[in-house]
This record gives sequence, C-alpha cells and structure tokens, in this order.
Amino acid sequence: MGVLRNPQIVPTLHLFPSSKLVPVDDVVLATQGDTAAFERVYRAHMPRIFNLARRMAGPDAAEELTQDVFVRAWQKLALFRGESSFATWLHRLAVNVIIERFRTLGTARERFLADSEAVLDVAPAVRTKHMDLSMDLQAAIEQLPHGARQVFVLHDVEGYKHEEIGDMLGVSPGTSKSQLHRARQTLRGLLNKKVAARES
Amino acid sequence: MSEQRRFGESDHEPLQQDDVLKQAISEWRDELPTRDLWAGISTRIESQPVTASRRVVFTLPQLALAATLLIAVASGLTWMIAHPPAAPNNNGPVIQAYGAPEEETQGKIVQANFADAQFNAAVTDLETILREERGRLDPRTVLIIERNLKAIDAAINEARMALNDDPANPYLNSHLADARRRKLDLLRTATTLASAGGD
Repeated sequence: MGVLRNPQIVPTLHLFPSSKLVPVDDVVLATQGDTAAFERVYRAHMPRIFNLARRMAGPDAAEELTQDVFVRAWQKLALFRGESSFATWLHRLAVNVIIERFRTLGTARERFLADSEAVLDVAPAVRTKHMDLSMDLQAAIEQLPHGARQVFVLHDVEGYKHEEIGDMLGVSPGTSKSQLHRARQTLRGLLNKKVAARES
Repeated sequence: MSEQRRFGESDHEPLQQDDVLKQAISEWRDELPTRDLWAGISTRIESQPVTASRRVVFTLPQLALAATLLIAVASGLTWMIAHPPAAPNNNGPVIQAYGAPEEETQGKIVQANFADAQFNAAVTDLETILREERGRLDPRTVLIIERNLKAIDAAINEARMALNDDPANPYLNSHLADARRRKLDLLRTATTLASAGGD
C-alpha cells in the first residue's frame, strides 16, 4: 500500500476533520488579527486545501498554492460574513486562487483538450481489483491540460456544477461539459492501459 | 471522497459504479505536504495585519428605518423654520442679555447688562418664568438645566470672592461676565423651551 511506500500518505479519514471541529471563535479571533487563532484555523483546514491544490494543480505546485490560499484568506478574512460555513468560504477562495495561477498560462487551446485530441479508450473500463488506481489516476491526470484537469476535479471530485465551473474558469457551461466528457475518456484510457500493463 | 458532492448534485451523467474512473476517484488518497507550510505563511502575513475593512451591510429594515428617521428629522427642521416658537410670555417682558452697560427698550424686549442689579433682575424674571413653565419640560431636561445652573452659580460665586481681593483683575472680571452671560443664555434657552412646550 502507498501508506507503507510513502510516509506522507495517510488515510483520508484522518486528514479531513469536520469543519465543526474548528471553533468558530478561532475564525472570529483571526478576523481580529489573532495570528495564533489563524494558525489553528490553518491546521484544521490545511489538509483539505492542500489536497485540492494537489489534485487541481499537481504535487509540485500544491505546497506553494496552499500557502498562497491561506495568505489570501488572511487578507480577505474581514470579508467573511458567515453567510456560508467557513470551510465552504475557504474552499471557494482556494479554487479561485488555484484557477488564477493557471489562468495566465497559455491560451484556451492549450488549457483544454481539443476536439481532435486522441481519446485512448471511449468505452468505460471494467472495475478492477488493483489497489494502485490512486497512483495511476494521479499519474494520468498529470497528462491532462490544466483547464481540462480543473473541470474534471471540480466536477467529479469536488462536486461543482458546470454552471459554477464555467463562472470560475471563464468558459461556458457547454465547454465545461465537453471538457469533462473528454477528460473522462482520456483518463479511462490511461487507467485501462496501466491496468492492462500490470495484468499482462 | 469524503468531501465529494458538497455543493449539490452533479449536473452531468454520473460515473457508473463499475467505471474504473469512479473507482480510481474513490481511492484517490489524500496526502500531506512534505514540510510545514505555516512558517512561510506566518512570515508573509506578519507584514499584513488584518485591516478593519469589513463592509458595513445594512438590512432592508435598517435602511427603511434610517430613511424614515431622515424624513422625520428633515420634516421637523422644516416645520421649526416655518413655525418659530412663540415668545415665552406675552404678558411680561422678554429679557435679552448683552455685555454692554447700557440699557435700552425695544418694545417689550428689555436688554439686561451685567451690572449686579440688572443682572439679578433679569435672572429673577427668567427664573420666575422657568418656575411657572417647568411643568411643560421633560423632568430629565429640568434636571440637566438645574445641574448646569448650579455649576454656573458656583463659578460666579468663586469669581466674586476672588474679585473681592483683586477688584481690578481683568481676567476675573472677564470670567465673571462670561459666567453671568452663560447663566442668562441658559435661562433664556430654558424658558423658550418651556414656553414651546418642551418640543
């Protein structure tokens, strides 16, 4: 298992404490400039933000992006009005920070999968008993253009709708839908190839 | 994923249970950073204290109340300008204080100077009016007026005692005249308020 190979990998259950575990008072204190309280807020929310950044932007950029997210959160804390949970507010802020990072990188054509781009396997692959799918997915998603990767993570992992994704990425909901469709096909193809290679 | 679908149901065809992608997502493990990121964050936020830039947002009822108050105040001011308060007592003289030692009569208005005799007479007249009309004033207003009158009287008495020792002292004379003027102004304001019914 990855846990044994990589000491940094720990079970999800331990990484994602409920946001209810973070006393609201810490957010209030942080809003008043209490850095110790803000550090507690950081400790509670960092794992989820780090993994969001890792999935959307890749492991190389995740640490720096996580820092950027919390610095931005500190700057914007005064604007948190409690209309949503702090976790939801922070998550949306993190998505925006991550998208901003890549918005300036390349043109839309480079960010997204082109219609003509090869799809390795159109048909859904059958469920496999292999336990290395997590690593395979991590490797496969690295091959997606940033835009397509963000659509996939935001929709299939984070649960946003195409309308919301379109707003965040500055594209139409239709573009988000088509990118998700092609990203899924590409990822299935790559995963099936990995599985097939291990089984042969 | 524990946090999946936190923002509502997907609006795209959901992944099938036997889809390798579905399984891969569910097994996509979380990781932790290879280093403590807080030190870097702490350094960066140290120079950026949280500013008190919270936006003040009013609710609709609050805005409605503020608008109503604004209209009421504006209407009140307009009414006061159009309907100046009547003289406190049409039967008696209106006493107006001034600093010159002269005395002249303008209709019913008697101007008082600050020589002791005239000053005392003016004060007595105003105090009489105030006594008769005080029932029309809010008790809290009466309390404030009386408290201020006591303070002014104390200042006047102190100045008088000091002038006994140094009658030519310009500062003490000026202080006494100023205290008397303030007492007359306060009494005039109080009687005007009382005559207007405390409005």
